Amino acid sequence: MKNSVRVERAILQITQEELAKKVGVTRQTIHALENGKYVPSTVLALKIAFVCGKLLDEIFQLDPEDWID
Amino acid sequence: MKTKLLFPHSCRVIGWFLFVAGILFTMSILTTHYEPTWLEFRVPVLAGDEIFGTDRTWFTTRKNNLADELASLLFLVGGLLVAFSREKTEDEYIARIRLESLVWATYVNYGLLLFAILFVYDMSFYYVMLFNLFTLLIFFIIRFRLVLWGAKKAMNYEK
Repeated sequence: MKNSVRVERAILQITQEELAKKVGVTRQTIHALENGKYVPSTVLALKIAFVCGKLLDEIFQLDPEDWID
Repeated sequence: MKTKLLFPHSCRVIGWFLFVAGILFTMSILTTHYEPTWLEFRVPVLAGDEIFGTDRTWFTTRKNNLADELASLLFLVGGLLVAFSREKTEDEYIARIRLESLVWATYVNYGLLLFAILFVYDMSFYYVMLFNLFTLLIFFIIRFRLVLWGAKKAMNYEK
């Protein structure tokens, strides 16, 4: 799954640490998520979208490979 | 993230203390075979017999030195507290690392045991079984802490 969390964070001018605090996770989680190493739960994705003031699918998009099991 | 079945974060320090004490105590028993006499007690025995003996006794008492029991207790309780205490912030990413590490440790532990079943015999196998009581926890702790350390190290501070 692709995401534009890094871009949204840059627009809001907040650090990984600040975003992590706002959504209640560690900085490692935001780092892993931005680097595509971790796919967040629906709850976390919704929280991030809420903090960024965007809809969920404006930040998180499916990759073609997500359809292949 | 509300993770059930984990100990509070504060238990980890106590866990490390017990775990290290257990390791040191076990090593000293294994290397010197010294068992302090003040640890000799009459203990209840649910079932017991001599190693490879045939006379099994049930529900009795016997005099026993509790050094090895104490070492195992320190090791296991400490190990469980270290392995399963919450991180300061226990979130879903850490929960995933925890789960993956547990699966990894189980595969490695039983992979080694399978190897030992095929290629190790007699008293050597007895020692393998003895160590195998503790290795799952050790493999899990090493893997979990290493991956967490790697994740922290991989972070580049980005503003």
